[in-house]
Amino acid sequence: MIKSLIITHGNLGHEMIQVAEKILEQKLDIKAIAFDWQGDGSDMISQLEKFIAANKEHKIVIFTDMFGGSPSNIATRFINKNVEVLSGINLPGLLKFFCCERKGDKFVETIKTVEQGAIEGINIISEYLGDKND
Amino acid sequence: MIEKTQIIINKLGLHARAAAKLSHLANMYNANIYLIYNEDKVNAKSLLGILTLAASVGNEVTLHASGDDEKEAIRAISDLFNRKFDEES
Repeated sequence: MIKSLIITHGNLGHEMIQVAEKILEQKLDIKAIAFDWQGDGSDMISQLEKFIAANKEHKIVIFTDMFGGSPSNIATRFINKNVEVLSGINLPGLLKFFCCERKGDKFVETIKTVEQGAIEGINIISEYLGDKND
Repeated sequence: MIEKTQIIINKLGLHARAAAKLSHLANMYNANIYLIYNEDKVNAKSLLGILTLAASVGNEVTLHASGDDEKEAIRAISDLFNRKFDEES
C-alpha cells in the first residue's frame, strides 16, 4: 500500500482532498499539511518526519503544490527509495492516484501514471476541441 | 463482444462524480469496456478518460464490452445511465 500526503501553501491540500472525496464518494487515506505562512517550515518538517516514521513499512508519495515552493523544497529533503515527491499536483492527478491505488498498482508505475494524469488534465479547451474537430 | 447505445439522461452529463461512479463500476468487471462518443473511444475504467469525452445530457454514447462478463458489465453500466447516476430523484 502506498501512503500519501499532500503539503501545500495554505489550505489548498485540505480543499483538494475534500473535493476528491466528494467526487469519489469515499473517505480518502491521505494527510494534508498546510505550510504556516508565519513559520520557518520547522513545523512542516516535524510533521513530515513523524508521518514517515509512522509509515516506514510503506512506500510514501508526497504531493506538493508547486515545484520550487517551500513545501516542495522541504519535501525534497525526504526523498529516498521509499519516499517520492510529485510536485504540481492538481485534481486530475489526485483522482488518478486514488484510482491507481484502488487497483493496487506498483509504486513507481503509480507515480508515473499520476504525473501523466496531472499533465493531461491541463488543456486549453478551445485548442482541445479544435483538435477533436479537425 | 457487445455494443449498446445509450443516451445520457442526467442533467449534468458525464461530469466528475458520474465519471467516478462509472469507472468504479466498470472496474468491477473483467471485460474490457470502452465508451465511444463521436470519434473518441476511451477506457470506461479510467475516470480521467471518461471526462475527456465532455459528453452532455442528450448525447448518445456507445458502450462496448468484450470479455467473460461482458453481458453483466453492459447491463450494470446501462442501468447506471438509466438511473441518472443516482444523482436525480
